[in-house]
Amino acid sequence: MLNVRDLGVAFGVVQPLSGVSFSVSQGETLGIVGESGSGKSLTAMSVMGLLPLIGGRITDGSIEFDGADITALPERAYRKLRGGKIGLITQNPMTSLDPLKKIGPQVDDVAKLHLGLSNADARARTIDILGTLRIPEPALICDRYPHQMSGGMKQRIVIAMALAADPDLLIADEPTTALDVTVQAQIIRLLDDLVKERNLALVLITHDMSVVAQTCDKIVVMYAGRAVEQGPVEEIFDRPRHPYTQALIACIPRGLDDATRLTGIAGTVPTVLNYPKGCPFHPRCPKAEAICATDAPDFSVVGESAAACHFAEVAHAEPA
Amino acid sequence: MPNLLEVRDLSKRFTSAGGPFRKARSMHAVNGVSFDLASGRVIGVVGESGCGKSTLARLILRLIEPSGGRVNFDGDDLLAKTSAEMRKLRARMQMVFQDPYSAIDPRYTLSRAVAEPFEVQGVKPARPMADEVAELLEMVGLNPGLSTSYPHQISGGQKQRVGIARALALRPSLLVLDEPTASLDVSVQAQIIGLLEDLRADLGLTYLFISHDLSLVKYFCDEILVMYLGRVVEALPDTKAPARHPYTKTLMESTFEPDPKKRRLIAPLEGEVPSPFDLPPGCAFADRCPQASALCRTETPELSSKTGHAVACHHPL
Amino acid sequence: MAIRSLDAFARMSIGRAFASGVGLVAGGFLILLVLVAIFAPWIAPFDYAAQNLMNANAAPGWPHLLGTDEFGRDVLSRVIHGARTSLSVSATAIAISMTAGMTLGAAAGYFGGFFERAVMTVVDLTWSFPDILIALIFVAIIGPGLTSTTFAIAIAYLAQFTRLTRAQIVRLKRETFIEATINLGAKPSHILLRHLMPNAIAPVIVVGMLAIGDGIVLEATLGFFGLGAQPPTPSWGAMMSSGTAQLFLSPWVIIFPGVAVAITVIAVNLFGDELIRALDIRDRLRGA
Repeated sequence: MLNVRDLGVAFGVVQPLSGVSFSVSQGETLGIVGESGSGKSLTAMSVMGLLPLIGGRITDGSIEFDGADITALPERAYRKLRGGKIGLITQNPMTSLDPLKKIGPQVDDVAKLHLGLSNADARARTIDILGTLRIPEPALICDRYPHQMSGGMKQRIVIAMALAADPDLLIADEPTTALDVTVQAQIIRLLDDLVKERNLALVLITHDMSVVAQTCDKIVVMYAGRAVEQGPVEEIFDRPRHPYTQALIACIPRGLDDATRLTGIAGTVPTVLNYPKGCPFHPRCPKAEAICATDAPDFSVVGESAAACHFAEVAHAEPA
Repeated sequence: MPNLLEVRDLSKRFTSAGGPFRKARSMHAVNGVSFDLASGRVIGVVGESGCGKSTLARLILRLIEPSGGRVNFDGDDLLAKTSAEMRKLRARMQMVFQDPYSAIDPRYTLSRAVAEPFEVQGVKPARPMADEVAELLEMVGLNPGLSTSYPHQISGGQKQRVGIARALALRPSLLVLDEPTASLDVSVQAQIIGLLEDLRADLGLTYLFISHDLSLVKYFCDEILVMYLGRVVEALPDTKAPARHPYTKTLMESTFEPDPKKRRLIAPLEGEVPSPFDLPPGCAFADRCPQASALCRTETPELSSKTGHAVACHHPL
Repeated sequence: MAIRSLDAFARMSIGRAFASGVGLVAGGFLILLVLVAIFAPWIAPFDYAAQNLMNANAAPGWPHLLGTDEFGRDVLSRVIHGARTSLSVSATAIAISMTAGMTLGAAAGYFGGFFERAVMTVVDLTWSFPDILIALIFVAIIGPGLTSTTFAIAIAYLAQFTRLTRAQIVRLKRETFIEATINLGAKPSHILLRHLMPNAIAPVIVVGMLAIGDGIVLEATLGFFGLGAQPPTPSWGAMMSSGTAQLFLSPWVIIFPGVAVAITVIAVNLFGDELIRALDIRDRLRGA
């Protein structure tokens, strides 16, 4: 469904993203996980064709959607795709909802624009979608304004808008970060069901390894604008081969039975302006050697998973 | 161990004045909270947004004046203290704040920020101030070379370390941690939690740890208080105790396991935390509770502990 | 210690304000003007009060570069000494206004409640009076002259400084570092003087800088109406006023002080804008 190859993005002379490749097919959930400044949101914006809006451009690689190359699609054509075949769910529902417009018309507009439905048909469709998202009394909700709803409900409306034009691909950028845990569980469950019922392809962008563990089929771990490791989710959690992935998993607090102490990763997350040379993780890496500071590692592939580390093989041999 | 902190029936009611176009409204942000914190222990307070956990932290430190109840700190009745006495006492009960980004005056260098507690309390350290500052920075894992930096020159995690250094400068016995890692990256969160654990062991600190993250609380704390809409609904005596309150159970089940092999179908609780204004009588959780009875909608259950595991529910699990 | 860190900040920002072309030209002009005002007696080619009726209303030329007025006094010398009057009156007035406004605003913002409402009501009341009316009240009480002018300008800008300071303090009070410092056991005086004021002061100083430009205009206006500087004290406004009588006979008498006012005000505003940009406080000014 979506095939991203060797994606590189630049803002002027700054290169916040390079060498990112992944693919996701129907009925599959791909997790893109990383800390702040890792480039995970930028990856989503590239796929959505939103880079020109914020002054960025794709310098390398290609993005293929549904068999067609959309890397250099003109804005007019992209507008058809965005909100149509590709739905977007953002972190803060308030940025996606118009505070001055009732819920009903906001969702209707998507179907009217992309599917050419009449007012009445669009509303019927809206009510239907709100119903499938387990929103109680969808007809009444249509007459409400966003400020009359709770955070979790607003996020459902954003999901409804993303679904209104019957997309094939959903991109969810930190969809639950602003929500409480019990509501996060509701939304994640909802997305999970949607992927299965509608055979959607879902790209889930998050900083939360636990969310990834529970929902994704494949994951891409990003660090400092690069994909450092990717593969099937069980593989990555069981046998992480990149030191960063290993450290990230070790950062998750678990119950006392594990008795592993949290130490975190020494140093700080680099920002776009001070991405390290060579392997981006080398200043914080316990296994770094001289080569790591000079040469950016290539992916070494074992089975279905790939890790960009000079010592990935070694790391694999030792139990993590 | 003697109790360092005893909280009894602590309450805070906020009211918004009515006007020609508004009804006067009131909410119980914190409602009758009682607990003991033994010296050297860590109690976690967990709950979703709006449950009153941050207000509770501020009531205990008297950063907000309580509407009722009592706070005993190391034998002192805090609410009976004058503001001058209170200022003196603050040296022994410190707080680490959620937002490290605005927790340091942007015009202060780190050394000045870390030296400020001494200045404020009129304490002259035995050693030169520069040495004292350097040691505090080292204690929280910062390079003393950073002491001439300004807050905007360092990262969020480093700022939180400065916040901890400031809080520890006067060697307090109680540290209230209000979501100290909520705005930090995962790898940095783990650093800070590790640091707090080390400091607790080295300095014999007592922590009150406020968080929305149940797995973090379970990892970090000895006992857990679960709050819902201003009340403590359950007090877990240890982190392995099974949930007895349906809300605690929901909270535990909503927490994702970081293991794809332990994937399970979450049957999430429907609904959300209701508005804390003008709550109906009865148990605040009744509307979302799968086993609520008529009793739950009329009578508020009291927190009762027959077995040392207190729960406020008419039908505990 | 507070002052030292403020200096470091101010030095950095003022340096940045000078960095742009506009800032350099405007700022350079203002520095020049201040130097001229300070060294007026040494720079002015003639005695500003020396009359020479034989040479009245002489056109610009040699030796009177900007001509002479109806008493034959050198216009250039009077413009130079006028800079002294205008700048010192305006700067003194704004300094008084700023000090009073910052004190009132900080106290109102920090303590809140009834005190805040009382202060803000009185201050807003002063704002609702036209500047000229305030000046007239002072003239009525203490007679015309530079003292009345100074107080009138000070009162005219009091509300602006009070409101701005109060808005800064109210905003800053909500910052975590204030709560954190209170929790260290700090007294209100420490919070106010060591944290709130140093953080609130930058926009107030910039507004003060801009107000000096407006103060010069107000001083000129009052001088024009004869309420300000009394003869023979040279002031740009009073010079223009006396020049109106010979507007067509000797226009230079009115043009040169007018040009001096205009250029000064433009320079003050341009440099003020650069300062706002350099300090990055545009958002904070909007709130007030």
